[in-house]
Amino acid sequence: MSDDAADVQRVLAGDVEAYAALVDRYYDRCARFAIRMLGNRDDAEDALQATFLRAYRALNRYQERDRFSAWLYRILVNQCRSVAARRAHRERVFVREEALLLNAPDHSTVWTGEDEEFVQRVLNELDPLLREAFLLKHIEEMSYEEMSALTGVGVSALKMRVKRACDRLRERWERIQHD
Amino acid sequence: MTDSEQHPYVEWIASEARRPVLMDPGARDRIMAAVRAEPVPAPAPAWRRFLQPHVIHMSPAATSLLAAGLVGIGVLTGVVMSNRGGLTAEHPRGVAVLPSQPPVSDTLVKFVFVAPQAQNVSLVGDFNEWDLAKTPMIRSGESGLWTVVLPLSAGRHLYAFVVDGSSWVQDPSAPIAPDDGFGHANSVKLVVRGSSS
Repeated sequence: MSDDAADVQRVLAGDVEAYAALVDRYYDRCARFAIRMLGNRDDAEDALQATFLRAYRALNRYQERDRFSAWLYRILVNQCRSVAARRAHRERVFVREEALLLNAPDHSTVWTGEDEEFVQRVLNELDPLLREAFLLKHIEEMSYEEMSALTGVGVSALKMRVKRACDRLRERWERIQHD
Repeated sequence: MTDSEQHPYVEWIASEARRPVLMDPGARDRIMAAVRAEPVPAPAPAWRRFLQPHVIHMSPAATSLLAAGLVGIGVLTGVVMSNRGGLTAEHPRGVAVLPSQPPVSDTLVKFVFVAPQAQNVSLVGDFNEWDLAKTPMIRSGESGLWTVVLPLSAGRHLYAFVVDGSSWVQDPSAPIAPDDGFGHANSVKLVVRGSSS
């Protein structure tokens, strides 16, 4: 029995604190995905809280033949979609392209790798479905089969989304070079 | 991997995005505080665990014995059936295969339960996978009356009320189904399509 399955069994036997071990094990990875997907910490925290709470409530439906991380990620992806949909109703965020260009690194700039805010804004420019596929593939480093099981989207469609996301990023770079 | 995926700019964005993120240090504590406020999730009912796929480990000798036994049963069955002129695969009789259609949940059914001392009550049944979280009931004032209305498909449904996340209670106003063999006796609701109750 894996550590995850053992912790789940302990929780179902009444040891609520065993759930803290599961939260600790997956919190950082889930937080990274939520922030990269949603673009800000407040929304990411909402999605994380809802994810871990829903997983807890549904723990008796988790089956050991599944990987706990994949099961949890499926809930997380859905929660991020829900939070993003609620936010879309609440507000519309307009990002000034000029500001992006001013902040964008060009070929003469040394990339310090410290501008998290800049990277986040570049990711925010992607369509949410493209961003989700890009993050699962290139940040969470999942296989297309894992992504398909998690999102319910076919492998070929996911490959297309990842390709389009990368194309958009590359086009953005080329646009900067020409301006 | 496509050209775009290998483009240095795309790789740089990906590598930056892979960096760990900083969250509010209190966020994990808030999650666990919310978890502690929840009822402990009940283990899956025994019948559901029974229905889940299981892996059975057998020694090679036991596997051979089982295979031989199954072949023996098949041979004996074939002999008996052929002696009686029974059904064969080549001559099926009286088997009507209907196209399967999902049931339509179009009839609103109201469930009522009295539990003045309860902190929360959930309705669980074959219509919500016996999931405690799916159909919480709503308390009406201080009367101790808990109600919920939900759409069900026509037919016979088994259900129960769960008080405070742990006590499974039958509906005193409904017929009881025979024990399912795993220690549960559930209530029965017969739903006629188009009517509401």
